[in-house]
Amino acid sequence: MNRIIVPGEVIAEKEIRMPYTYTEGGKTYSTVLGIYEAEHSSIIPLEGLWSPNRDDDVVGIVEEDKGSVYIVDLNSPYTGVIISKFSQTELAPGDVIYAKVKEFDEKKEVILMHPRKLYGGKIINVKPSKVPRIIGNKNTMLNELIQGSKSNIIVGMNGMLWVKGGDVALATEAILKIQEEAHTQGLTDRIKKMFEKTGV
Amino acid sequence: MEGNKPQLIIDGKRTDGRGFDELRPIKIEANILKNANGSAYIEWGNNKILAAVYGPKEALPKHTADPTMAIIKSRYTMAPFSSLEEHGRSGPNRRATEISKVTSEVFENIIMREMFPGTEIDIFIEVLQSDGGTRAAGITVASVALAAAGIPMYDLPYAVSAGKIGDQMVLDLNKIEDNYSDADIPMAISPRNGDILLLQMDGSITKEDFSTAYSMVKKAGATISKIQKDALKAPYEKIIEKYR
Repeated sequence: MNRIIVPGEVIAEKEIRMPYTYTEGGKTYSTVLGIYEAEHSSIIPLEGLWSPNRDDDVVGIVEEDKGSVYIVDLNSPYTGVIISKFSQTELAPGDVIYAKVKEFDEKKEVILMHPRKLYGGKIINVKPSKVPRIIGNKNTMLNELIQGSKSNIIVGMNGMLWVKGGDVALATEAILKIQEEAHTQGLTDRIKKMFEKTGV
Repeated sequence: MEGNKPQLIIDGKRTDGRGFDELRPIKIEANILKNANGSAYIEWGNNKILAAVYGPKEALPKHTADPTMAIIKSRYTMAPFSSLEEHGRSGPNRRATEISKVTSEVFENIIMREMFPGTEIDIFIEVLQSDGGTRAAGITVASVALAAAGIPMYDLPYAVSAGKIGDQMVLDLNKIEDNYSDADIPMAISPRNGDILLLQMDGSITKEDFSTAYSMVKKAGATISKIQKDALKAPYEKIIEKYR
């Protein structure tokens, strides 16, 4: 049985180690507003910021060219950094890029690698906690989005999405619907129906 | 002052008809501001308070940043139209600065700050209408806004004030009671283990009075906590219900 939990709520009467919890005095408590899935015994946060991990794909906007490094806005408390000499492409402030996280260092700077410039298109900001749902289990939801709207969609784990071509308005509508209803069951089917109804 | 003090307890009831350990009606709504990371609105009797949370974000100015943990910046303000009298009305003053400071300290002990080194979390508490006990209501609503922002916390704290009228200990003082009571004790509590996060006092009480006050606050806390939790869950449950 899934249930919504709030910070400080008791998850288990024994000490278990799992993400988004802490243990104290033989009990496990939640730290976030989220959904507790008893069968997998895991917590999916409903809100929250992106915490960078190695190999995360991100979409960002180049903010500044400092000569040796580029500073990238990732729409998070942490700034992205691309070391110029490792970048194959010449970048300029304002460029939209797609890159991989190489390292998240103790200075809380996100070192990026393999930047790719994205031309044109539209950026959609979503809540980073909803990104896993937009991708879906084994990419099902993302495939549905791409097929349904005939758009190119690139998803950044930091909550920035890049959409180009096809029916951008429909894709945006679907993405915002997923964000709104991320915690409900049978969402992939509803998105499928939505595309069938409007059709591109 | 002594001469024209109003009678606050008549026939075992308070001026607004409440019993001694009775709360004013409380209503909380979460996620009402779109631009903020988290927000909440509370109606606590005649108090109307809005709270917004931004962050964690880069701490500015840079010298305020702590490289080991997030810093909490609270800002409590009363709207110029919030009060019947001059009380707390004119922008940032000594009282607002004090309440901002104690609110920051409540949440410094509750937010898992070490997860966000070098950042700041901003908490804005805006009193739209005041009727006594705004600092307690402000802390209660700010903790809902923080949870709605997805900020990891050890607990969901609540706050409420206790007081003393004559020989009687009472809960949740309103403006008139606050002005003429013998003691006013706002408390913020971590419901998980009953830890006191905020304890201030005007007036004087005995040791036994404090025990009574603490147990009154804890008992009322169960009600307040439930309202907080329901407010956080409501927007999500509404969408779940729609597709059941």
